[in-house]
Amino acid sequence: MMPVLRRVLAVAATTFREAIRNRVLYVLVAFALALMAFSWVLGELSLHEEVRVITDLGLAGISLFGVVIALFLGVNLLRKELDEKTVYFLVPKPLERWEFIVGKYLGLVATLTVLVVAMSAILEALILARGGMFTWVLIRAEVLVLLELVTLTAVSLFFSGFSSPYLSAMFAGGLWVAGRSVPELEALAAGKLAGTPAGHLVEAVVAVLPDFHLFYISGANLGGGVVTVHEAFVSWGYVAETAVYGLSYAAVAVALAAALFSRRDLT
Amino acid sequence: MTAITVQNLSKTFVRGFLRRRTVALRGIDFAVEEGEVFGFLGPNGAGKTTTIKILMGLLFPNGGTARIFGRPVGSRCAKAKVGYLPERPYFYEYLTARELLDLVGRLYGIEAGERRRRIDAMIERVGLSHAADRALRGYSKGMLQRVGLAQALLPDTPLVVLDEPASGLDPIGRKDVRDLILAEKARGKTIFFSTHILADATTLCDRVAILAGGRIRGIGALDELLSAKIDRVDVVFRAPEPAIEALRDAAGGAVRTTAEGSVASFDDEAQAASFLRAVLDAGGTVREVVPHRRTLEEIFVEKAAAGREASSS
Repeated sequence: MMPVLRRVLAVAATTFREAIRNRVLYVLVAFALALMAFSWVLGELSLHEEVRVITDLGLAGISLFGVVIALFLGVNLLRKELDEKTVYFLVPKPLERWEFIVGKYLGLVATLTVLVVAMSAILEALILARGGMFTWVLIRAEVLVLLELVTLTAVSLFFSGFSSPYLSAMFAGGLWVAGRSVPELEALAAGKLAGTPAGHLVEAVVAVLPDFHLFYISGANLGGGVVTVHEAFVSWGYVAETAVYGLSYAAVAVALAAALFSRRDLT
Repeated sequence: MTAITVQNLSKTFVRGFLRRRTVALRGIDFAVEEGEVFGFLGPNGAGKTTTIKILMGLLFPNGGTARIFGRPVGSRCAKAKVGYLPERPYFYEYLTARELLDLVGRLYGIEAGERRRRIDAMIERVGLSHAADRALRGYSKGMLQRVGLAQALLPDTPLVVLDEPASGLDPIGRKDVRDLILAEKARGKTIFFSTHILADATTLCDRVAILAGGRIRGIGALDELLSAKIDRVDVVFRAPEPAIEALRDAAGGAVRTTAEGSVASFDDEAQAASFLRAVLDAGGTVREVVPHRRTLEEIFVEKAAAGREASSS
């Protein structure tokens, strides 16, 4: 294995090990599972729509609590290292500072992947127990959720490089809300604000905002048709395109975080 | 080869909204030769940890240069030559000691089989065999310091930098640290360590630098610093009563009486020698001759005071 890769993976494995042993994470996962269990009860109240209710609420739970977990892990990543002074142990070791940042980020990506896979397996089990069928559409939706979390974690990591965890969570959370509202912002710029300075400003903001709406497919308007996870409109091609977008955005955010960290005094 | 070369190194911290400046290092120079144990002494706030953090690539200097085995500090090549123990070591508390050492071994590129062998040996060496697979959050301060030493020594680098290695240890722990340092020196390693426990510096160091107020106030071999000059010689003697007055005059009046006998103090050895002859000629006896040299502690206090005056002026 290449020495660079070996060092990055060593940091990633430690980050993963530490994150997965954090009890706060399990509390958040428990909430997501509680929401899935609640979907089972709601399914009972619906009229022959049990599987749809479980699928909708289950995916919403994975997405919502995934976002909270991604924000929690992302904004605390660097701050925790600095506050707990573990950075004084790791940075003097023979690795570049960018390798440290990339390793930490990949450790979080691995953590999120394990959590999303585990929650998705539980959701699948609930659907099958309710008499539903296994569908690749649901898997594609879950991959999109994971891609959204991977992108959001990179954005949170970028903010945590120069602000406190609370401010970072506010910035990254605000960007997530704005990013989910990209179609509405585009409509605003092209409609009421068309041709005005405010309209141009909104267009400029939308151009640099992470488009989190791309990952949110339930009820989305894509290619002129309404797409839901219950239909096969979301192809692997769409997932691949979105993955390229999300991973590119994440790579830029991580590169910026690494650039900021590379000249920072660790007092 | 020179292990550490520091030239005109300076560092100023700018803090807070009002951009208040604190000068930590004011252009320091020193070199540590390969194979020596070098003590970096100074009172709190002297700039010791700032210097070490620059050497370890944690801080960037505002001026000057620092090199480790000829490589610029902070570079991966320089860091690969150093094992480092931070002051009050903080580690990932969810990891066990064995997992932490495994991470260190991986970062230094030690192959899996060799890594396992070295980790087992190092855990045994620092006396943590009973707790090696327990999470670090349950460790006492002394145990964490031992883990810190283990991770600094595991990569078997030619240079070991220890920031206050005996901090927070009980007397047995301090002796263990001293033994570890001497064992590494015997293996030809260069040891650079900061301390304000002067007894450790006296026991361990080939050379020391005394830092105060961000400047080097003294540097050299310990015996040069300590025996450069005899400050005072005390002669303890007994003499017949009629001769005492004459001897008091010979001693310039500086004779006091103690339980051991009369004590005369002299500024140099020649004066003391002629006084000894006078005592013997007067039929007296010499009980003891005590030369007083400056201790490291006295030098340290003097340099620290000079540093405080320079900083406040």
